[in-house]
Amino acid sequence: MTNFAILPILIPFLAGIILAFTHNRILLTRRLAALFALVHLITMGFLLYKVLIDGSIVLEAGDWIAPYGIILVLDPLSTLLVLTTSIILLAVVWYAPSSVSEEQESFYFYTFVFLLVTGVSGAFVTGDLFNLFVFFEVLLMASYALITHGGKKVQLRESIKYVLINLFSSMLFVTAVSYIYAVLGTVNMAQLAERAAASDQPGIITTVAILLFFVFATKGAAFPLYYWMPHSYIVPNPVVSALFGALLTKVGVYSLLRTFTLIFHQQPEIIDQLFIWVGNLTMLLGVIGALASRNIKLIVAYNIIPAIGFMLVGIGIFNHDGLSGSIYYLLQDMIVKAALFLLAGTIAAAAGTSDINKMGGMIRSHPVLGWMFFVAGLVLAGVPPFSGFIGKLLLVRGAFEKGEAVTVIIMLLTSLLILLSIVRAFIRIFWGEGEAIKQQKRHNARRLLPAGFLMLFTVFLGVGAEAILPTVQQIADYLLNPQAYIDLVLKGGR
Amino acid sequence: MEIIMIVLAGILFGFAVYNILQKRLLRIIIGTALLSHAAHLFILTMGKLKRGAAPVLVDGTENYTDPLPQALILTSIVISFGVTSLLLVLAYRAVKTNGTDNMEELRGNDHD
Amino acid sequence: MIVAILMPFLIAMCIPFIAKFKYRIHTGYAVFVTSLSLFLYFLVLLISGETNILYRYSWIPSLGLDLTFYTDGLALFFALLISGIGALVAFYSIFYLNREERLGSFYVYLLLFMGAMLGIVTSDNIYALYTFWELTSVSSFLLISFWFTRKASTDGALKSMLITFIGGFALLGGLVLLHLVTGTTSIREILTQGDLILTSDWFPLIVVLLLLAACTKSAQFPFHIWLPDAMEAPTPVSAYLHSATMVKAGLFLLLRFTPVLKESEAFFIAVSIIGLVTLFWGSYMAVRQTDLKGILAYSTISQLGMIMAMIGYGTEAAIFAAIFHILNHATFKGSLFMAVGIIDHETGTRDIRKLGGLWKLMPVTGIISILASFSMAGVPLPILNGFYSKEEFFSSSWDLTADRAFSTDFAAVLANIVPYVAVAGSIFTFVYSMYFYFRTFTGKAEKDTAEKAHDPKFGMLASPVLLVSGVLLISIFPNWFSRHLLQPAANAVYGETMKEHSIHFWHGLVPAFIMSLIVVALGIVLYITRKYWTVLYNVLPGKLSGNIVYASLLSASEKQTKVVNDRIVNGSIRQYNAIIISVISIVTLVILFGTNSFDLRNIDTSPVSLPQSLPELAVAFIMIAAAFGSTVSQKKLTAVIILGVVGYGLSILFVLFRAPDLALTQLSIETITVVLFLLCFRHLPEMEQERKEKRSKKITNIFIASLCGLMMMLVGLAAYSQRLFPSISEYFVKYSYKLGGGDNIVNVILVDFRGLDTLFEITVLAIAALGIYSLIKLRQKGGDR
Repeated sequence: MTNFAILPILIPFLAGIILAFTHNRILLTRRLAALFALVHLITMGFLLYKVLIDGSIVLEAGDWIAPYGIILVLDPLSTLLVLTTSIILLAVVWYAPSSVSEEQESFYFYTFVFLLVTGVSGAFVTGDLFNLFVFFEVLLMASYALITHGGKKVQLRESIKYVLINLFSSMLFVTAVSYIYAVLGTVNMAQLAERAAASDQPGIITTVAILLFFVFATKGAAFPLYYWMPHSYIVPNPVVSALFGALLTKVGVYSLLRTFTLIFHQQPEIIDQLFIWVGNLTMLLGVIGALASRNIKLIVAYNIIPAIGFMLVGIGIFNHDGLSGSIYYLLQDMIVKAALFLLAGTIAAAAGTSDINKMGGMIRSHPVLGWMFFVAGLVLAGVPPFSGFIGKLLLVRGAFEKGEAVTVIIMLLTSLLILLSIVRAFIRIFWGEGEAIKQQKRHNARRLLPAGFLMLFTVFLGVGAEAILPTVQQIADYLLNPQAYIDLVLKGGR
Repeated sequence: MEIIMIVLAGILFGFAVYNILQKRLLRIIIGTALLSHAAHLFILTMGKLKRGAAPVLVDGTENYTDPLPQALILTSIVISFGVTSLLLVLAYRAVKTNGTDNMEELRGNDHD
Repeated sequence: MIVAILMPFLIAMCIPFIAKFKYRIHTGYAVFVTSLSLFLYFLVLLISGETNILYRYSWIPSLGLDLTFYTDGLALFFALLISGIGALVAFYSIFYLNREERLGSFYVYLLLFMGAMLGIVTSDNIYALYTFWELTSVSSFLLISFWFTRKASTDGALKSMLITFIGGFALLGGLVLLHLVTGTTSIREILTQGDLILTSDWFPLIVVLLLLAACTKSAQFPFHIWLPDAMEAPTPVSAYLHSATMVKAGLFLLLRFTPVLKESEAFFIAVSIIGLVTLFWGSYMAVRQTDLKGILAYSTISQLGMIMAMIGYGTEAAIFAAIFHILNHATFKGSLFMAVGIIDHETGTRDIRKLGGLWKLMPVTGIISILASFSMAGVPLPILNGFYSKEEFFSSSWDLTADRAFSTDFAAVLANIVPYVAVAGSIFTFVYSMYFYFRTFTGKAEKDTAEKAHDPKFGMLASPVLLVSGVLLISIFPNWFSRHLLQPAANAVYGETMKEHSIHFWHGLVPAFIMSLIVVALGIVLYITRKYWTVLYNVLPGKLSGNIVYASLLSASEKQTKVVNDRIVNGSIRQYNAIIISVISIVTLVILFGTNSFDLRNIDTSPVSLPQSLPELAVAFIMIAAAFGSTVSQKKLTAVIILGVVGYGLSILFVLFRAPDLALTQLSIETITVVLFLLCFRHLPEMEQERKEKRSKKITNIFIASLCGLMMMLVGLAAYSQRLFPSISEYFVKYSYKLGGGDNIVNVILVDFRGLDTLFEITVLAIAALGIYSLIKLRQKGGDR
């Protein structure tokens, strides 16, 4: 039973390896990739069901008891996230053949995708800080391979920056882990939490925690560390952008959420304010970037940033509503961002340009695409009854409960500006007099179906929020009470 | 001795950062290599230095140096090696394609 | 009940299929039937006296979001308005909209709007109300931009959306606060806890947020600027959304919360002032318009301001009058819009300067217009309902000081001024009403309009005729409407049963009547002399108001943001790194010292004994020297080789510090790395060509680098010296052989205790290998197809 906890890592890992061997037979590779993605999705669905019914699953890798060996933890939070990841994986694999060239596909494209997902899932389920670093490296290395894949001029230019920034933060990461090891004598997260809570010198723990905060915030593209993100996310193929936009920054946010609720909440007066203000500034500056852009892909990429801000604020609010809001926002944002990148890719492919000022009147030839984009914009701005609203409402409520009225105003203002950025793009792309647009009907349906598949989930997460929300709220309570996690992992076997 | 090693690592870190802030790609890569050296030295020092025998079990010896940081460094060295090699090849390709290794000339704009 | 509220949505889903047959049967009929049946349903509810019905449907209980519908008098009043006018507008649109148009989309939006509007007025749950509220903004956006190829349409749509969404998001904030203060999401329960709300610290913010919502939605000054631009919508939409229903949602919101809000004096001050200013400004601006729909738009703004002011008064008489005027306004303004639509349709223009003399050509339209516009002007005739409610407005203004006690001086003074402002604001109402009617229907007709213009088919006239007969019916039987429609609504608003209001044409020579006479007299004078005073508009131009602000904000949102953003995200990796590294270093140092965490308590600070430690010190010295050397070296080959010295130095340190495995690994990997470096560097340009760096930049870089090195050093020292817990390594030492079966503890950790790390470390290498392979081999011109 406990061995199930390896599945989120194992399935994409094996899939990646197998697809590396079939790389020359493109048709087979595509089919296998779709099959693996589907299997992964179904398995993750089953796992979530298991976890919700029977409780969390903890795997002590190699049977080495915690805290000495590496622990994989499938609690509701990590399981929900790996499930969401698998949804995005399926959509991406589905969309890829219509966007990626066959040559690229034969150069281990799917292998990289699946190994990226391996790293992401590993980061979600691991209960060990150093192991988290290793999974970060797996997903980063896969992302390096994907961002350069194709070798276009711009790709090479932007990917250098991407690699450099991530390399620096990785090195900071290991060093910070070693500092924590020096102070607390362990790298197991549950034990870290236990020891941090028992320590009488919170100052040094907070200091080291700040270093980790910056490491994760760099990956998560928070202010003032987001500069590298927008341009590097748009240079690879839209499929890759979708993967990055949906997963990579969110791994950073997840790590913040996990470590700062579990371990580093010794001095809330410092930590909470840090999160709230970094979050506020992230929202504002991110949306400024979105407003400033004329490139449809860039608009979408910049819109990742304010969403990160929302989640950070939720962590800083640190109450039931705030954390529920953060988690809900995280889940839904992964899906809607993936959908938006796929839509933006489709738009750019159909129009033959990414510049929204050169488009116009496309609603006549691409109505479905247009309306999906419009709805995705409403989701992003948190307009009810879509999924963004649920998260935003919880965050607003949480912030008011904590008395953070300024933050609420910034959140609402940001929502308005997000709406402006997307609706303005929508108007320029789809309305107005259309000039002669290069028509590419060929791949239209194959491109729209995966995006539609993701949109279905976002709509469901809004209208059918009741299906997920109670679980999310339980997770929030569970995060507020780290002892539950500690007991789960250490089982008193210390 | 730990103080000296931590100071050494800090100085290496400083040199690394200085190189990273240069505009030639080559310098930056040298900086990243220095960075990983500094990080590994930090990790090693965070376990205690020289407080026992090498962590290979020998009968009769009770004290060993802390093996865990060593294991972590090993993992990290290998990973750094992978990243550095990829970065080198990437740099080579980027310079060939873009025709410059000056990062200030590799800024780009919104629409290309 | 839920079927009734959701019916528009359900039908909307079927519309795309119905629209396929639009050439056989106009899609509008489906919508007409839908809204008519809804109207009848609500009418039956009203007549049977079955008010105050509650229906609850669970939706997202974890959020406190339920679909709870509650029909009290106020809800029924609005529901009848929405479905009734909706039916008429749908019928009218059948003749207005050509079958070539995208009827499917039009009616889908219209039904979405109708459903959302019904949802707003019947929802008991605040979050459900909010959901429907935003939906009306979205559907209004889509309807305004129905002719999406016209830039004016899409600009107007964007403007209305942005401004109404400012209010929408403010509403969300206000409602959440109400929820937090009262602990419930049910409006009825919230209203029972008035004291709690009024005494809460959040109360001022709640009022501001709710007012922001109401004022943006109901086009109050200075947020009114979206309404004139929204006139780009097809005329049925203007008649329906932008005069009869949606713009009244803001008023509805305030009416809903009146039982609580009316107790607050600040609310009285704010709302009365906003309302009166809007009343004045709207009517003043209306006279200046040349577009018929423009006149009506500003007139709507002004009328909404008047109702707003009455809501602000908060007295029984005022609330009753406000509701009365909402009804009357819907009738006369709706018919005026439809008349304008007819004129536009027949003459091809809405420019009042080109129109004139239509009376002879279009008598029926003329009758509709004269009745409606005179009613709007408040001409004292017993057949014009506008006069009745304006009388009530005047009398409630006049009686304000008598009906309500004020505790602050400012409020008391304001209450005394109110009647005069009310009169002043209403004069222009009279002027623009006259202007509208006489310029269009009397005088000389232009030649080309004279030829083609005539009254349209009966179908198109039916709706305005019905609405105008509403004007007459209400005037003739005011008390029937009062008893069955207005009184229940007013009671619901006021929260208690108010005394019965009877409406009469003639009250004697009361102040209100005198005020009316003054308005009419001055209005006539101003209308006749308008040539002489319209120069005023050059002094107080219309563009003075929010439009300039809006336009500059909108353009700033595009241009200024770009300036800001380009400065931050400028593509320079050096700048990114510099900022990132400085921020990390500074913040971490601040926290380190701010929390008083730097100490060297447990660290061995005894001086290093030279002979024993000589090797370490020597190596350390060599490493620093080498790092320095590779940093300043101008030759790439030298730099790389000296860099190797640092790596080899590290492996010697590993040996010295009893880490044999590390030393071996480091040694071999360093060698391979140097080789790799040399291979790749062969292709990179020489470093001698390096351009000179600015001195200041160099110093900044040195500073950042030192800061970062220092930070890592200090945090490292602090962490090292505060070892709070024993390491878990003892376990590894103890069980390495017993359980792991190996003597070399590091190896056992790697392959066994932490085998997962090693597995994925190898994976990283494998990915790197494949990545490098693709990087070298895969060279495409264009990445995506």
